[in-house]
Amino acid sequence: MYNEPPYRVFEPSEETNQNEQEVTCVIEFKNLSLTYPGGVEALKNINLKIEQGEFVVIVGLSGAGKSTLIRCINRMTDPTSGKILVDEEDVTYLKDRRLRKLRTKVGMIFQDYNLVKRLSVLRNVMAGRLGHTGTVKSLLGIFPQEDLKLAMDNLERVGIKDKAYVRADQLSGGQQQRVSIARVITQQPKVILADEPVASLDPPTSHTVMKDLRRISKEDDLTTIVNLHFIDMAMEYADRIIGMRDGEIVFDGPVTDVTEETFEQIYDRPIRVDDKRGDESDGQ
Amino acid sequence: MSEQKEISLKKAKTASTKRLIAVIIGLLAFFYISAFWSQEWTVPGSRVSPLTILYRMFVVPFTSLEYLQKFPERILEMLETIAIAYAGGIAASIIAMPIAFLASRNIGGPLSYIGKAILNAIRSIPSIIFAILFVAALGVGPYPGVLAISINSIGMLGKLYAEVIESIDMNMVDAIRASGGNRVQAVWYGVFPQVLPDFASFSIYRFEIDVRASTVLGLVGAGGIGVPLMIAQQQRNWEDVGIILIIVIVFVTLIDKISGEIREKLV
Repeated sequence: MYNEPPYRVFEPSEETNQNEQEVTCVIEFKNLSLTYPGGVEALKNINLKIEQGEFVVIVGLSGAGKSTLIRCINRMTDPTSGKILVDEEDVTYLKDRRLRKLRTKVGMIFQDYNLVKRLSVLRNVMAGRLGHTGTVKSLLGIFPQEDLKLAMDNLERVGIKDKAYVRADQLSGGQQQRVSIARVITQQPKVILADEPVASLDPPTSHTVMKDLRRISKEDDLTTIVNLHFIDMAMEYADRIIGMRDGEIVFDGPVTDVTEETFEQIYDRPIRVDDKRGDESDGQ
Repeated sequence: MSEQKEISLKKAKTASTKRLIAVIIGLLAFFYISAFWSQEWTVPGSRVSPLTILYRMFVVPFTSLEYLQKFPERILEMLETIAIAYAGGIAASIIAMPIAFLASRNIGGPLSYIGKAILNAIRSIPSIIFAILFVAALGVGPYPGVLAISINSIGMLGKLYAEVIESIDMNMVDAIRASGGNRVQAVWYGVFPQVLPDFASFSIYRFEIDVRASTVLGLVGAGGIGVPLMIAQQQRNWEDVGIILIIVIVFVTLIDKISGEIREKLV
């Protein structure tokens, strides 16, 4: 899959983990700040460590800086000061080829799926391989057989293999979001960022999509960071919850430490009905 | 109709408004009729009356076998005109693409001014000027016609393409960039599928215009049916002029209809 980069050589003492799992820090923010040109401080001095294989949910009201924070990790947004380390590599000032290499490691799922609607599902999933494919070959549509097989397998994992040759705009919202999950894992990333992945879906579909995402993330041991604003979903699927308000981290802890009062503190107001997505049976 | 109190869509007009409208219509009619009356309807250098010319153009060709026999030959020349328009249009619709990407604000970035300047420069020169230049450089024939048509079409298609590109959903481009794709891949997978139907539709529309334009270009010697049209007109051979015009009208109408149907299916 990947050529192991030279910096992933570990000291022997670190390798003594019983599970033989590398517990390395995959993502680290150091004094990260971002001020938009208008003067809005979207992120204020963020210090954060996210470990390998964690399923982290970032909660907060809209405008709290959740999107900005995760978009800094794959550098879709550039911070104004501070550092971001991914896999012990400083990615804050990467450019061109090395930035694209970072982005092949850090996959992203969007609220509006961002599929190319006129293309088939399989072509959309193969778009995840573009970072691993040469420009000329990708323009001609020549992909290695094993990449196509990987794409098909991933479609099977999200349960829509039979839709491979259907145009993306023929699918329902939940199916489209599953295509985008298949696209992101076909990219074979180490980290998945999901920016409000279920905000455009109804409650039952939201749960199936989150279940798929969590299952795949655990199966492939991927570090996953999800932005959500529904507190019940955050508590159901997260390993760890990070609360944000006005560009600052106001809570950070395992999901077991979280109660509704925690959310009231994060949101700085009482919990309302629309802060919850509801059960899988809702909306039916 | 049966009931008196029918509800009218418009507010009822007062008598004075009605009078005013009648006066305006009467005046306009008077100006037009007197203008037609005072105009001398003759072709300079010809003693024949315009009604006779129209009669010779559109009636005489159908009355005698001698003229009907000329139709197939003229149709072949019309096909040459269409071929000029097709060759020029195809070349233009491909060459216009890179210029359009350069000219669009979202893809071309700061370079878009250069692309827009190129397109504006091309569009501000009429195709007949290009035709005269190319006929002077390459001689009389269809080839200069093809070049003139294609360059002129690039100007318009490039502008229309660029507008299509500027209106696309950039989220798909973001998604490909976020998965490590480069600029070229993002355009190919994220932009092209979105814009291709519109590009095709505009190209067909432009082909329609090109057919009419290449008829005119023949007048300066750039091939096609315009050449015999020019010769026949100079010889005051009105029957021949009529035959050519009838063929042009029929073909342009046909192409209009066909292209309209294709474009409807595309978008």
